[in-house]
Amino acid sequence: MSRRDVFQAIADPSRRDIIELLSEGPLTVNAVARQFKLTRQAVSLHLKVLCECGVVHMHRQGRERICVARLEPMQQAAQWMQRFHSRWEQSMDKLDRYLYQLQTQEDKHGESKSSEQ
Amino acid sequence: MANPNLQSSESQGMNTENNSGHLADPATSLYGARILQAPVELVWRVWTDPEHVARWWGPEGFTNTISRMDVEPGGHWQLVMHGPDGTDYKNHSVFVDIETHKRIVFDHVSGPVFRATIEFQDLGRTTEIRWTMQFKSPEQLREVINVFKADIGLQQNLDKMSLYLSELMRASA
Repeated sequence: MSRRDVFQAIADPSRRDIIELLSEGPLTVNAVARQFKLTRQAVSLHLKVLCECGVVHMHRQGRERICVARLEPMQQAAQWMQRFHSRWEQSMDKLDRYLYQLQTQEDKHGESKSSEQ
Repeated sequence: MANPNLQSSESQGMNTENNSGHLADPATSLYGARILQAPVELVWRVWTDPEHVARWWGPEGFTNTISRMDVEPGGHWQLVMHGPDGTDYKNHSVFVDIETHKRIVFDHVSGPVFRATIEFQDLGRTTEIRWTMQFKSPEQLREVINVFKADIGLQQNLDKMSLYLSELMRASA
């Protein structure tokens, strides 16, 4: 079996749409299928993957199957993205400091020049 | 998507399976659904009785005046939404298909033109509502999203209806 984690869950555009739809609240499989130009089988397969990845939970209610989003594992994806955001921020900080350094050096240079005159 | 023939046969297969209406095409339609915490009889009444509809319809902060609402095929529905800044938005629709406790189809005949299909699924103590707004072209869909924020509007309609129903259920409990 291929990897089953949050990244596998969000790798497919249809699965991202399903997660978005379910983030508004639980729905039956039929209501999920309504949104897509896919066969019921294809939607069921996506839901199966989402369940295995732990971001959707399904239970029976009478004759219907209800899908519920579990959004906590999405944190994992957010944290992973955050690392790059932090790295970017650090680079920006370094650039900021470097620019400041350059400017103060030039100012000192300017000052010493003006004092020479 | 790559094979149009496959696409159409898949859609047909699904239509017979679901045994009701069309599929939402994301390129030309908006779709939203909720499981509402109320039995289908009450959900239906809240959708078809103008006094109830006026209490939850429209975006956040809007109020409504309904001068006419004949819920039957060919029946007219005239609703004015009053925006928080005092602007009035006139809405004229004509009901196309009514199946009690199951389905409402109406054409919004004043601009922007669209066909709305609302399906009700009886889940016992709860009811699932599935709401599709079908536009004529991808350009029209883009326009209603840009100008009227219709995508947010649909979600707010569902949220406000859900909230109104839970208030009704609490009041009657």
